[in-house]
Amino acid sequence: MKVLIIEDNEELAESVREFLVREGYVCEIAYTCQQAEEKLFMFQYDCILLDIMLPDGSGLKLLNLIKAEQLQSNILIISAKNSLDDKVTGLEEGADDYITKPFHLPELHARIRAIYRRKNLNGSNIVQFNEISLDTNTLEARINNLLLDITRKEFDLLLYFVVNKNRVLSRQSIAAHLWGDYTDDLANFDFVYQHVKNLRKKIAAANGTDYIATVYGIGYKFNATAS
Amino acid sequence: MKLINKFTLWYLCIALTCTVVGTAITYYSIKSRIDNAAFDRLKTINQLAAEEIKAGTLGDSVVQGRKVEVHELSTALPTKPFDITEVPSVNPTTNKPESILTIRSYYAINGKNYRITCYGYISKADQILSGLEVSVLWKWALIIFLIAISARLVSRLVLSPFNKTVKAIESFNLKKKERLQLPVTNTKEFIELNTFVKAMTDKAIDDYNSLKEFTENASHELQTPVAVMRNKLELLAESDLTDEQAVMISDIQNSLDKLSRINSSLVLLTRLENHEYETKEPLHFCRLINSSLATYKELIEMKSLSLSKNVAKSVYVQLHPMLGDLLLNNLISNAIRHNIPNGTIQVQLTHTSLIIQNNGTEPSVPTEELFQRFKKSDQCSKSIGIGLAIVKQICDIHHFAIQYNYDNGLHIIEIQFKSVDAPTPPIVFETVAEQEPAFIVQPV
Repeated sequence: MKVLIIEDNEELAESVREFLVREGYVCEIAYTCQQAEEKLFMFQYDCILLDIMLPDGSGLKLLNLIKAEQLQSNILIISAKNSLDDKVTGLEEGADDYITKPFHLPELHARIRAIYRRKNLNGSNIVQFNEISLDTNTLEARINNLLLDITRKEFDLLLYFVVNKNRVLSRQSIAAHLWGDYTDDLANFDFVYQHVKNLRKKIAAANGTDYIATVYGIGYKFNATAS
Repeated sequence: MKLINKFTLWYLCIALTCTVVGTAITYYSIKSRIDNAAFDRLKTINQLAAEEIKAGTLGDSVVQGRKVEVHELSTALPTKPFDITEVPSVNPTTNKPESILTIRSYYAINGKNYRITCYGYISKADQILSGLEVSVLWKWALIIFLIAISARLVSRLVLSPFNKTVKAIESFNLKKKERLQLPVTNTKEFIELNTFVKAMTDKAIDDYNSLKEFTENASHELQTPVAVMRNKLELLAESDLTDEQAVMISDIQNSLDKLSRINSSLVLLTRLENHEYETKEPLHFCRLINSSLATYKELIEMKSLSLSKNVAKSVYVQLHPMLGDLLLNNLISNAIRHNIPNGTIQVQLTHTSLIIQNNGTEPSVPTEELFQRFKKSDQCSKSIGIGLAIVKQICDIHHFAIQYNYDNGLHIIEIQFKSVDAPTPPIVFETVAEQEPAFIVQPV
């Protein structure tokens, strides 16, 4: 997948690029509106990560341009402004999703994948990994075609793991993914632990491979190479 | 009372005082004029009679058609040359109550002392007064009529700049950032008022804008470095780490999380204070509560808590959806977090109130203080202690009354609100839903 990162903060853009490159994506970075325009006219991208506040203009302007030129890219707005107006405007102007800084890299990746599934796979909403198959429409998880009895949160968790396989997922990132921001609640980690435990139990009960490993001190990792 | 009515009343009071005093003056001046004229006439007759006595021509005791009584006095002349008496009596010719004015003059003529008496009828005071009454009544009718008319017309004319200013202030909204347009007037007081109001609202708009700008900048400028740190740590976490390094990274991530939450919560509180979340659409509150509870269902089960809910149907409140979400999420997650093992959570929603109760240990500080920012019952707990401050702020700006009580092992939060009508015409064939059995609510 080819991704254009439009972000004026070099370190942030570089982090995002590094993370996505490890996922096998081709990434380019534009630091200004002007650079972004040049790249957009020359190349085609599957996904555009768009910061709203850029040194030489608003990202919303670029959004209009992308729509006017009928570029077939998915657009994910990255904004430091957690303001509702921006969110509504952005989505109304044709963005596909909106994520607020500071985000977790696995969360950003999960969002990119979600948009991609929604828009590019022609309604096929199956995420498949080895024996695990996840239907993002019906929220059904199967292992070797055996339906797993899992809750909504456990489904979200498993999908998050599968999308971010072989990545270290911190407890913070999982908690934020499952419960969102604004819960004044850092003790959610206990629940992360509980959810992961339950999920592993259920996968094991269905004779699935235990891909989920604990990373000491930090969180968990979905080991695609586990056997 | 309307300003114009106050003015009118004052003017009427002044008019009344003037009329009373004026009538009294008129009465006395007319009466003294009439009395003096009659007195002068009678005195002249007495004088003529005295001259006739002197000349010896007074025969029939009639002078100029008026009867005079002449007495020869045996005593000396009184010091005063005449005296006057006025006695009420009925005039036999007109048959009306009048007064008899009697004047006695004393003369020394040809060495003898005489008292010459003469009288005449004059109008009584009552009659003058009744004549005045009619004119006073007419005058009053005219005054009231004119004041009433002019009060309506003139006030509309004179007070119109004032009324326009009031209307402009009423429709003034900081959020629209439109500067106040005030009518031009030549009344000094209104010019002063308009200048003051204009300066005040302009200042408010400027302050509001700079505050908004600051919060937005603060939010933006802080979130980006936090994002960089967080993402770099995530990349670092993927490298080969010793256990100690991993724990350190985790600790840094926790602190970053806290920093970012504090920042976004403070920005949110400021936005709430600025009334940036206004909505016209009523919020389907009961539905939101059910979905919010569903989100936390698993957490509740994991902590082995039992949830009982009694949620009324068709409850709508005037609240922004995001704030409604925030309010409920904070309250419910608090009720879960501060619960005891195998504890209970009770949620009750009526058309006027929301009560959330949960078991928990006794708070170490008075419950009211827990609404303050960064105030926690357990200072070393992992939360940042801003959830209830946000809840309180949301309640305050929507004029909901919120109460937090601790009673016999139960934390009870009660929010009283005013529900509004459903946004669209209500569903016609709605049947009365069977109510779930209500649980007993502890007296608050």
